[in-house]
Amino acid sequence: MAHKTLHNDIRRLRFEHKEMTQQELADSIGVTRQTVNAIELGKYSPSLEIAFKIAEVFRVPLDQVFHYR
Amino acid sequence: MSFREKSAWISFVCLLMFGGLYAWHSFRGEIFRARGIGPMVFVFGTMAALVALEIALHVAIAIQSPKEARTPKDERERLIDLRASRVAFYALFVGTLLSIAIGMHLPGANRFLMANCMMGSIIAALMVRFGTQIVLYRRDA
Repeated sequence: MAHKTLHNDIRRLRFEHKEMTQQELADSIGVTRQTVNAIELGKYSPSLEIAFKIAEVFRVPLDQVFHYR
Repeated sequence: MSFREKSAWISFVCLLMFGGLYAWHSFRGEIFRARGIGPMVFVFGTMAALVALEIALHVAIAIQSPKEARTPKDERERLIDLRASRVAFYALFVGTLLSIAIGMHLPGANRFLMANCMMGSIIAALMVRFGTQIVLYRRDA
């Protein structure tokens, strides 16, 4: 079975939402800018709660933000 | 560098200073004893001075980034704390076993040596904790 990992489109979604900064996203979901950066780079997998909060900020379903492939 | 990482660096360096001074006092105590500074006065005096230094440095970095300092730890930072504490537990466990072994089996060992070894284990475990935090913060950066 091929090894699957979690990917995300947060960077693209930020730029599509008026070039939102990492700090603005961090403030709206209640985490630090460093945590948003770690999530974006795939170095940290967020909890379901944070994942849903990110999707809510961008007003898209969860599977448009995170992909498991 | 984030506020939490700076905080971990401050704690690590202060502990390193305290550990170094404590080890120096333990092995080269005659310098202090000759000046009439007893071991307990030295330990508590040094500890108080370093706690004051650590508080002052934390206040300084909090003034530099007040927003970050006020923000509670998020889930990633709590996870880093837990991982670092787990690694430090093993360091303390090994240190305690070594202290007991030294106290019981080293020829000429006494309860003071054993107490010094245990104090050393506590300092080393705390340094491992803050060191692991720094590594984990760096790795995610």
